[in-house]
Amino acid sequence: MNYSFNFNAVSFEPLLKGLIVTLELTLAANAIGLTFGFLVALLIMSRIAAIRLPAMLSVEFFRCTPAIVQIVWFFYCVPMLFDVYLDSMTMGILALGLNLTAFNAEAYRAAIQAVPREQLDAGIALGLNPFQRVLYIVLPTAFRASIPVLLTNGIGIFQQSALVAIVAIQDLMYQGKSLATETYRPIETFTVVALIYFAVSFPVTQIVGYLERRRQLLMS
Amino acid sequence: MELDFSIVARFQNALALGLWTTIQLTLICIVLGCALGFLIGLARTSRSAVVRAVSSVYVEFFRGTPVLIQLFWIFFCLPLILGVELPNFASGIIALTLYMGAITSETFRASLKSVGREQLDACIALGLPRRVQVTSVILPQAVLRAIPTLLSNCVSLFKESALVSAVGIADLMFIGQNISNNTARPVEVLTIVALIYFIIAFPLARAVSLVERRILAKLAI
Amino acid sequence: MTMSFSPPLVKVESLHKSYGPNIQVLKGLDIEMKPGERVVVIGPSGGGKSTLLRVIMGLEKIDSGSITFGGKPYISSAGRDKKTIIDTEVRRSIGMVFQHYTLFPHLSVLQNLILAPCKVRGEKKEIAIKRAQALLERFGLAAKANSYPAQLSGGQKQRVAIARALMLDPKLMLFDEVTSALDPELVAEVEQVILQLAAQNMPMMIVTHDMWFARNIASRVIFCAGGAVVEDGPPEQVLGSPKEERTRDFIDRVFHIRQ
Repeated sequence: MNYSFNFNAVSFEPLLKGLIVTLELTLAANAIGLTFGFLVALLIMSRIAAIRLPAMLSVEFFRCTPAIVQIVWFFYCVPMLFDVYLDSMTMGILALGLNLTAFNAEAYRAAIQAVPREQLDAGIALGLNPFQRVLYIVLPTAFRASIPVLLTNGIGIFQQSALVAIVAIQDLMYQGKSLATETYRPIETFTVVALIYFAVSFPVTQIVGYLERRRQLLMS
Repeated sequence: MELDFSIVARFQNALALGLWTTIQLTLICIVLGCALGFLIGLARTSRSAVVRAVSSVYVEFFRGTPVLIQLFWIFFCLPLILGVELPNFASGIIALTLYMGAITSETFRASLKSVGREQLDACIALGLPRRVQVTSVILPQAVLRAIPTLLSNCVSLFKESALVSAVGIADLMFIGQNISNNTARPVEVLTIVALIYFIIAFPLARAVSLVERRILAKLAI
Repeated sequence: MTMSFSPPLVKVESLHKSYGPNIQVLKGLDIEMKPGERVVVIGPSGGGKSTLLRVIMGLEKIDSGSITFGGKPYISSAGRDKKTIIDTEVRRSIGMVFQHYTLFPHLSVLQNLILAPCKVRGEKKEIAIKRAQALLERFGLAAKANSYPAQLSGGQKQRVAIARALMLDPKLMLFDEVTSALDPELVAEVEQVILQLAAQNMPMMIVTHDMWFARNIASRVIFCAGGAVVEDGPPEQVLGSPKEERTRDFIDRVFHIRQ
């Protein structure tokens, strides 16, 4: 190979600016995903089919189509369909936030439905009313159980946020791509960009692994 | 605004071609990626610390970075390093195979671990040699247990394959975007594209829990 | 005794075994088992009964001591790093049945039975199948040959596990709490099968909490506690009028709980 490496060509300033945008997108999308995910989870567990079925269908739609299709659709179609024009950052946050909402709703639902039947029986035997049973038994158990999946989904959206570069939001990926084109140094630039993504993701996945191991120990 | 979905019908051949590219890409990378993932899954339980470390770094790196940057890296950097031109399609296959290899290796590793100590005890008590323990007892159970997760890995791969449109491979997403740009009818075209992805991915995703229940019922000890 | 000059079937000498640095399970255990004996090992949990069986099966490493089988060296620890040496040829003449069945869930009952004979001894498949069918017939499981373990009751699973071990014509059978995981109404069918084997003079070593079964099947009872043999004798003595106080305490407590 004849390529000579020159990592000095990679200027960190635009990358840092891009990383901040990426982190903003990630945090805002997580704020949406964590709250609306829970609300949607309640909808998909509703006893009323007219509420449950549409909610389930939309969740499945977000889970079963590529995120890039969702983002491109959102950017082109929302302004045309609803005649609303928002700045691209807000659009990016909404698109990623909706995607995460669907995945988190599933996580909450699975955790809530995994609360063992005996726990509820014990609640009834202790004379707790239905509201108290949800508040003191179901939710605390379910929230704790869903934390690893919510974290995994959250860091997943950090990685998926790179897709907004395609619709010209100036995130880390976008800055990396421009820098690679300007400097003719794709290897160095893309390697550094990948390492930055990795440096943020890896600690979180390690924490998830730790939480899951601890949970298994506590359960056994 | 008025929607006119009949416009999409005019481009059905182009979309079908794009879908065929998407499916080819997905199927090839499922086969190659599962084979790679199986080997890496074994490598991560290897006795050699070097083999374990190298395979862990590979898996963690590919799971810890966006697929888009992996794709760009392979697409822009690999030809420079190798000093040869790579056809777009080949770059796409390499990138998605490496991605699939990383996620399925975790699936295989977890399923190998799930074959319990007691099964090994039974093998020893029956005097089975190591080779028979692996081929007749451990691997068949591990592969059975892996199937549901592998299936959902395939759904993920199918979805991630849409990213290759960003490096100019004419898959379903790429063709869809082109038609949408040329006709200025993004709502109709992109909605249909999303529906096509959904119609394929949704039944597969549903099948996961069905298959899982059947396999768990069979393996219940 | 007329058999006094024949070598013991199993001879365990000063067996030491620990899990990790702090948990010593066997602390210098000695047992001699004659051919044709049916030894039942009883004692409090954590006393080392199951570990003893697992060591004899060659499933565990040992710290020190030795075991011979039919007069031949079988397990020993040697060298500076105290490596456990197990003669795998000898190990093949021992069969074991576990508390949790440990059938291979992906194989049918018949496949479970013929796997080892075909793969270990290179037996022809048709012959192994014939023998397997005969065994299943004998244990009242002929109709289940093509079922999978998940489709069987606990009692049926455990009888299949016994049949699977017998396929290798073992010279000694080890039973490790084989009825402990069973529903009470299924215990008898498994114990019947073991009694059937006893009637054919199969040498066996049994760990059980079922004192009724112990009394019925044992030709000798060993009370094991704190990693060593506390009392060893005929069932009438150890279960009926034990000499050692610790044995008496244990027997009293077990029967007190049961009545």
